[in-house]
Amino acid sequence: MTPTRLSRRECLKRLGALSALGSAAPFALNLAGLGAASAQSAPADYRAIVCLFMFGGNDHHNMIMPYDQTAYDTYAAARGGARSVGGIAYDRAQLTATKFSPLTPQAIGSEFAFCPSMAALHSLYGAGKLAVLPNIGPLITPTTRTTFNAGSVPLPPKLFSHNDQQSVWQAFASEGVKLGWGGRMGDLLASSNSQSIFTAISASGNAVFLAGQSIFQYQVGTSGATAINGITGSSMFGLSGTANTAAKQALTELSTDSINASTLAVEADHADVVERSVGAQSTVTAALASVPTSTSGITLPTNLANNRLAQQLQVVARLIGARATTGAKRQVFFVSIGGFDTHDNEITTLEDNANGALGLHGQVSRCMDYFYNATVALGIQNNVTLFTASDFGRTLTSNGDGSDHGWGAHHFVLGGAVKGGDMYGTMPDVRLHTTANPNLQDSGSGRLIPTTSVDSLAVTLARWFGVSGSDFGLIAPNIANFTNDLGFMS
Amino acid sequence: MKTILSIGLLLMLAACGGGGGGKSGGDAAAPACTYSASVEVDVTDSNAHPTDAEASRFLHQASFGPSSASITALKKGSFPTWLARQMEQPQVSHLDCVKMEQARLGAVDQTHFLQSFWGQAITGRDQLRQRVTFALSQILVVSFEGVLSEDVRSVASYYDMLGKNAFGNYRNLLQDVSMHPAMGAYLSHLRNQKENSSGRVPDENYAREVMQLFSIGLYQLNNDGTLKLDGNGKPIETYTNADVSGLAKVFTGFSHGGADTTNNRFWGSVRDPNYNVIPMQGYPQYHSVSAKTFLGVTIPASGTATTANIASELKTALDTLFNHPNVGPFIGKQLIQRLVKSNPSAAYVNRVATAFNTGYTALAPTIGSGQRGDMRATIAAILLDAEARPASLPSNEGKLREPVVRLANWARAFDVASSTGLWRIGNTDSTTNSLGQSAMRSPSVFNYYRPGYVPPNTQTATLGMVSPEMQITHETSVAGYLNYMQSTVQNGVGPTVSGARENRTNYVNELAVADDSTALINRVDLLLTRGAMKALTRTSIKNAVDAVAIPTGSTSSASSAANLARQRRVWLTVFLTMASPDYLVQK
Repeated sequence: MTPTRLSRRECLKRLGALSALGSAAPFALNLAGLGAASAQSAPADYRAIVCLFMFGGNDHHNMIMPYDQTAYDTYAAARGGARSVGGIAYDRAQLTATKFSPLTPQAIGSEFAFCPSMAALHSLYGAGKLAVLPNIGPLITPTTRTTFNAGSVPLPPKLFSHNDQQSVWQAFASEGVKLGWGGRMGDLLASSNSQSIFTAISASGNAVFLAGQSIFQYQVGTSGATAINGITGSSMFGLSGTANTAAKQALTELSTDSINASTLAVEADHADVVERSVGAQSTVTAALASVPTSTSGITLPTNLANNRLAQQLQVVARLIGARATTGAKRQVFFVSIGGFDTHDNEITTLEDNANGALGLHGQVSRCMDYFYNATVALGIQNNVTLFTASDFGRTLTSNGDGSDHGWGAHHFVLGGAVKGGDMYGTMPDVRLHTTANPNLQDSGSGRLIPTTSVDSLAVTLARWFGVSGSDFGLIAPNIANFTNDLGFMS
Repeated sequence: MKTILSIGLLLMLAACGGGGGGKSGGDAAAPACTYSASVEVDVTDSNAHPTDAEASRFLHQASFGPSSASITALKKGSFPTWLARQMEQPQVSHLDCVKMEQARLGAVDQTHFLQSFWGQAITGRDQLRQRVTFALSQILVVSFEGVLSEDVRSVASYYDMLGKNAFGNYRNLLQDVSMHPAMGAYLSHLRNQKENSSGRVPDENYAREVMQLFSIGLYQLNNDGTLKLDGNGKPIETYTNADVSGLAKVFTGFSHGGADTTNNRFWGSVRDPNYNVIPMQGYPQYHSVSAKTFLGVTIPASGTATTANIASELKTALDTLFNHPNVGPFIGKQLIQRLVKSNPSAAYVNRVATAFNTGYTALAPTIGSGQRGDMRATIAAILLDAEARPASLPSNEGKLREPVVRLANWARAFDVASSTGLWRIGNTDSTTNSLGQSAMRSPSVFNYYRPGYVPPNTQTATLGMVSPEMQITHETSVAGYLNYMQSTVQNGVGPTVSGARENRTNYVNELAVADDSTALINRVDLLLTRGAMKALTRTSIKNAVDAVAIPTGSTSSASSAANLARQRRVWLTVFLTMASPDYLVQK
């Protein structure tokens, strides 16, 4: 089949989606209903899932640490010692204010600590809104050092590679994969929404996490939708009257290719993006106007006013607050923060400094705290769940002032429906494998072999989202090999 | 209205080291860098000459876009001669331009590199070098985003290094990239220390990325770029994590170059004035002496490290990478994607990889040294290949134009001049009101987009194809681009100097034919869409242009209104063309 604009439109017509399509109406707004593969047992209320992606590979070993003296000493030794002696481990005294004892017993100790820059998350944990998922990562089947070294189990593709593991976390396959698990959830539940374009929304550029089969991810700027001046403005190049009308018509029909001039796939694909941009802009603008940044609880605190992650979470909160305008009942969002590839300067990169500059961990903590409180202000906190993700964890070993690419990592889940204040999964030994003292979750240099699969996280969230049990395999391809409920959602 | 000096005159006035320009007002008295002469390179030969349209298409692939003058010049010769003459053109140093600005202003920042980048991209006589260097900068990535944010001299020098090697040998390029202090800082092998007894291990960053991104990639490839498969039909990984750890030891003990190898110099408390420009050097006291095993090679343990064996180990490592059969198809395919098309056929990749492997292409037998890794032969094989200029277009042709290239296309097509010679176009990162891309500002070492990016839920994906540039294309960016170009086409770009934007055009040649909409569209079509604009697109633009009536009459007000109408016709034609799929996808 030669790819043409006609073929796409014929496809839509065949699906009966074109009936309401006026010449100016973007097709994507009329796709609602295409994605409902099977009847979903979705609760009637609103629900949203937010993926907060930490690009670069977060050093989880310095995010949640053991606090019991023996376990702490093991951790510190493996990281070249505490920072007071030149290593990259925290000093134990730095952790006292942010320590916690999980309800679920852990073999390696009874006390753990958040890094000091994450005091806000420590508080949310204490308030029962935040759960910790230790040593989670991509797996095909349960794996240990023994089976890893023997090559006797299938492994996720291209381990330790940034771009590929970003993709595996978001979509269970390496770079080039077409469907993400956020997008798949959207496909299954977009029929709940009156406009499918508001099902999967990124505030941070294209993310394969949100790629669906029938739904399209929509990218929103942190200050809202950008209008195309030549189309929405009063005059192009100072023209007026019929000349101005003709100019606008030409710009619209060329950029969205409503005249079907495209002969190549990528020409049509680009025009489709413009068409969605034009189609969604007025709705997004109206929606965001109903939840202005001056709204109590939505306004960014001073120290986050220029923070890119905070700005992304703010526009997400505003869109959630405006769900009546967008007609959304089920939404999946993507936000991100970069800079986590701490081969170097790990301490100064991750940790807040004494002058008040926020490190990456401090930014994540404060931004999540802001976002949770924004959902409280909107009265929707029990219907919004945020989880963190990253390329991979990092090595336990130090290269002097940083660490290298790893695999499993600790992550968070946050929201009013989260059974917080606990750890779900197994906290691994924080030490390097030796023959005399084996550590079966160390694949080498403290690159943790995960004990919880991303599949289990995906399905636990999907279940809460309203995806029916028969569709879990569509969300997470390896779920048959792992638990389908980690238990952290109420 | 202010008169814009011709580029040639401006450059005469503001030659490198030649003192002030002749303009009055604003920054016009500033010394500006000489980017190049405005005269086109003479490529006259006795071969068959390309048509206007063929020349335009070639120049869209091989340069930052055609101008009337560059098409005219190319038509006197042939593509092979053009390539040969281009490869002889001297390089203009971005670092020198940055230094001139530093001397003038006292301090420089990223925008001063970008001035030089835009000045050269738009006016450089060595257009092939300009375009290939930009391509290389997207494969061998360092970026101002991150640790280099303040280090404009180092990044400018890195870009110069890519430009120097653009017509050299990939082995030297790999050497210079690996030892450049900008790369050392960016991928953290600068001050990377050997392992020690307290469990410290070498930083693996550079060892991993030099394999994954700069030389061999993740999977073994056939010479045509397709995956080699094992007995079970599975792709074969080129390296393991153990190879990364082994190679990481080679990249220990490097820090800034200088007169000695003392600890203080290693750590930076003593440093050469040009420390961030000159190649890094080995410091034996920080270099691993244990055995280093990678990719089937083992460098045995040595008793003590010396600068000589650090260099020899580096040579072993880079020779091993360079001689891996993946390099030709891996790098060749990416260069095709930057210059010509997103989805080259396996046969095309095979031909280009063979030119890389042998340093020879029959398409231009005198270009190329006969040595493996020859960039001249590789570039000639890419640009002269039949697949780079097919007569008709199957569905897998073309590439979405890179946003930075789009602005350069406009500037070159319409003879944009910088009133100050400074080309202060600046950072074009914004997705809401600019291009969503800037030279040397990639968000990570993975560039703005990946060579294997598949835009989800698209016809491209259905066809099993990739479209790298679609990775930075979304609902915001498309609006940002259109808004930026609408403003730029009308007013120019950059700061306002004496009431007009610094970098702009009066569209003299377009205004001359603006009364005849067909002639006007033909002209813009040749420059922006290589004379291949589709009938539907042409009709749409013509309807808009014809709707702008040109008043008649001999009074001065009628004449002025007519001139304004002509301007509007030109702006519309240029902007609407640049908004159309015909233009946005190069083919």
